[in-house]
Amino acid sequence: MSHSLDAYLVLSVLLFCVGMFGFLARRNAIAMLMSIELMLNAVNLAFVAFGAFSPQLTVHASVIALMVIAVAAGEATVGLAIVIAIFRNRRTPLVDEYDTMRD
Amino acid sequence: MSNALAGAAIPGLGWSWDDLLFLLLAATVLGAALTVVLGRDIIRSGLAMIVSFAGLAGVYVLLGAPLVAAAQVLVYIGAISILVLFAIMLTQTKVGPVRLVFHHQAWAGAVAAVVLAAVLIGVVVSTAWPNTVSGPLHTATTALARLLFSDYVLPLEVVSVLLLAAVVGGVFLAKRDEPQGEGR
Amino acid sequence: MSNELLVLSLLVLPIAGFALTAIFGRRLGANSWAISVGAIILTWLAGMILVIGQLTGGFGPDGLHFTLYTWIPAGSFQLDANFAVDNLTAALLIVVTTIGMLVHVYSIGYMAHDPGKWRFFAYLNFFMFSMLLLVLAGNFLLLFVAWELVGLSSYLLIGFWYRRRSAALAAKKAFLVNRVGDVGFSIGIWAIWTTVGSLNFSDVFTKLPQMLASGQIQTWQMTGIALLLLCGAVGKSAQFPLHVWLPDAMEGPTPVSALIHAATMVNAGVYMVARTNPIFSHAPVAMVIVAAVGIFTAIFAASIALTQNDIKRVLAYSTLSQLGYMFASLGVGAYAAAIFHLMTHGFFKGLLFLDSGSVIHGVHDEQDMNKMGGLWRKMPITHATMLIASLAISGIPPLAGFFSKDEILGSSFRNGFYVVWLVGVVVAAMTAFYMFRLMGKTFYGPSHVDPQVHPHESPPTMWVPLVLLAIPAALLGLVIGWPPDSGLVHQWLDPVFAQADQTLGLHHEAFQVFGIDGALILVSVALASFGVIAAVRLFGLRLPGRDVEPRPALVETTTARLRPLYTASFHKWWFDELYHGLFFVIGGAVARAAWWFDAHVVDGVVNGVGTFTIFSGREVRRIQTGRVQNYALGIAIGLLVMAAGFLVVTTR
Repeated sequence: MSHSLDAYLVLSVLLFCVGMFGFLARRNAIAMLMSIELMLNAVNLAFVAFGAFSPQLTVHASVIALMVIAVAAGEATVGLAIVIAIFRNRRTPLVDEYDTMRD
Repeated sequence: MSNALAGAAIPGLGWSWDDLLFLLLAATVLGAALTVVLGRDIIRSGLAMIVSFAGLAGVYVLLGAPLVAAAQVLVYIGAISILVLFAIMLTQTKVGPVRLVFHHQAWAGAVAAVVLAAVLIGVVVSTAWPNTVSGPLHTATTALARLLFSDYVLPLEVVSVLLLAAVVGGVFLAKRDEPQGEGR
Repeated sequence: MSNELLVLSLLVLPIAGFALTAIFGRRLGANSWAISVGAIILTWLAGMILVIGQLTGGFGPDGLHFTLYTWIPAGSFQLDANFAVDNLTAALLIVVTTIGMLVHVYSIGYMAHDPGKWRFFAYLNFFMFSMLLLVLAGNFLLLFVAWELVGLSSYLLIGFWYRRRSAALAAKKAFLVNRVGDVGFSIGIWAIWTTVGSLNFSDVFTKLPQMLASGQIQTWQMTGIALLLLCGAVGKSAQFPLHVWLPDAMEGPTPVSALIHAATMVNAGVYMVARTNPIFSHAPVAMVIVAAVGIFTAIFAASIALTQNDIKRVLAYSTLSQLGYMFASLGVGAYAAAIFHLMTHGFFKGLLFLDSGSVIHGVHDEQDMNKMGGLWRKMPITHATMLIASLAISGIPPLAGFFSKDEILGSSFRNGFYVVWLVGVVVAAMTAFYMFRLMGKTFYGPSHVDPQVHPHESPPTMWVPLVLLAIPAALLGLVIGWPPDSGLVHQWLDPVFAQADQTLGLHHEAFQVFGIDGALILVSVALASFGVIAAVRLFGLRLPGRDVEPRPALVETTTARLRPLYTASFHKWWFDELYHGLFFVIGGAVARAAWWFDAHVVDGVVNGVGTFTIFSGREVRRIQTGRVQNYALGIAIGLLVMAAGFLVVTTR
């Protein structure tokens, strides 16, 4: 099965869905960010898997994966900085209390 | 990783060693991911995330992309996870682990996730992917480097600027507000 | 001065008088009558010139027709403002202008103490304009406009003393009851237009009979049009069942009652039916209905007049009764006789009203006859003229009423309408009775006048018109009605109605003095005299050489014996109460139900839409939580739906 594309894609889908559930369900902001990282990783895996099984796309997939990793790093930085900044104001990491955008 | 051993079948089991390795790694990844998502203690979630990343790096190796695996370990485990752990430390409240990990829409989220998984897996499995070979191809690092600095040089530069912006932004956002002398 | 200009001056002078009096009247104060009376006298002169010209055949056999301008040019439909003057118009003009002028002069004295008299004269002029427009109109729409204007003038004049609640209510009642009739009238006009395509009298009166003869329209359609037109006439001329407004209209000043409700406006209905005789004569059923309505109103109103105590109410019911005579005459086919009676009635009823006004003025605004009596000595001129008028209306020869009334009765009998004739002679007796009852209670017997009031004769501005009116009231019949069936009035009017006569198959036989006609005259005169004598015995009479004392005791016993009839008559047969219950109570309930439906159901739906919108908006707003995760869930669900949808669509 490791010689078929489907297995890797299934793994990618499952990882993505787990990450999505975490993003929608967790109350802690940092946990949400972690879930986002999981989702990004799942996508990365999908890219590399496609690259591994399609001859023309092999190298391109790796390049894209590298870019994604880099961007994820930047995004994690900024996201965590925001969470810390909000935490300083509101003294809570729980996102369902960040509701001043309402009304 | 195509050596004779990899494709050989395990005695007693119908599978090959590659398949077993893949299953182990997949289980690690998913198990750690579930711990991240369902863990009550957030530090446990953070550590589980590191395990998940590691497992994923192994999968990349299986897929013949060692450079990506290396980048995964260096960046994700080495930098991002450390960031996350620091952030967890900085945002800890006096109260202990919160009783309620999920809020009310968790059920809806679960349903959505399950349905999405089902749909996508259904799609994936039933699609006959064209132009595929039977086994994972190995990515040559030289070819990767050459491509990176010829066709993809612009995205490369843009990403580096993006990282610079992210760093500057992160520093600015996380800075403590100093009492201003003049103006707001 | 060209003839068209004469006709136009008849219209322009009164309306100019109205406008000038309205603008300058208040400033002129005590002399505010000058403009309007002057305008009316000039109008009368112009009218008489026109009449003489028309009646001597100066305008040719068809009369004078001309178009002023194209009023409504609307593609294929065109309506002109055209006017028509023929012998019928001339007859009406005599009555309208003469009585109008005399009433205007009378009003100078009658309204002398009223601070609002400038308004009064302005309204009077406006009324004259409207009435003249009605008589001169050459097409149905112009007639209808004038019809409404006359109704408006009536409203303004009845409610002249607007601060008095009863007057305001009476004016409103008059207008509304008229309106009821006008609905039928306007539907009739629309029916004419859709059938013929034109509203000009000349077009309609030639085309409709042609269409009937050629089978393009059926008799029932002609009857329908005639009956719809009759609705308007019934309203305007206060026939049963739309009679209720005329007695209440006595709230207006007496000159108004004399002019509008005796001599001119109420005759508009009669004029209209006479004018549209080609339509009516081709609809025999409608003619019968006209006669029935007319003669019923005649006896109905006469029965009420027998017991009323207000001097003006007696005269109002008398007017209703005489109008009933005219309608009956139209219904039996005696058009010329109807117009003849219209003319004579205008003069003697106008005289009666002005006389009553003189009496009321003399006893300081008291209208109840029970508080009068013995006035013959104090108000000789009024008494004399009123006596003449009473004799005229009772149909005593050789005064005017005798000729016209007998023509009606004779024609009814000869055309085969025996019931009409019978009821007619009974009404004649009743008329004589109530008129001399009025005379007795007002002028004869002991005086029941309030001791603080000193009755006196009226000033010359008031009694000169009385005398002037008494002359035609006495002599008009002789002048234009003798010999019977071939006098001047017939020479003028028979050609107008010749077509109708032909259609109805009537032919004028020679008048047989010693035959059937003489017998009929004898019967009616006998009955009228009986009525006079009965009234005189009960209520008294005082003439040089004749003195009869009233017998109140006899009155009491007679009344007691006829108590139920007396009560019914006194309460006007409870028609006002019936209408009140029918329209006010029931109609009010219906209106309230409709209001409830509108306020609760219709508005409920409308408000419900609004409420629903607000409610749903409020609920939908709850989606906006401000929490990112909720939005993310929305995105996830949307993504799901799209993916699934895409799948389904592409695998189909």
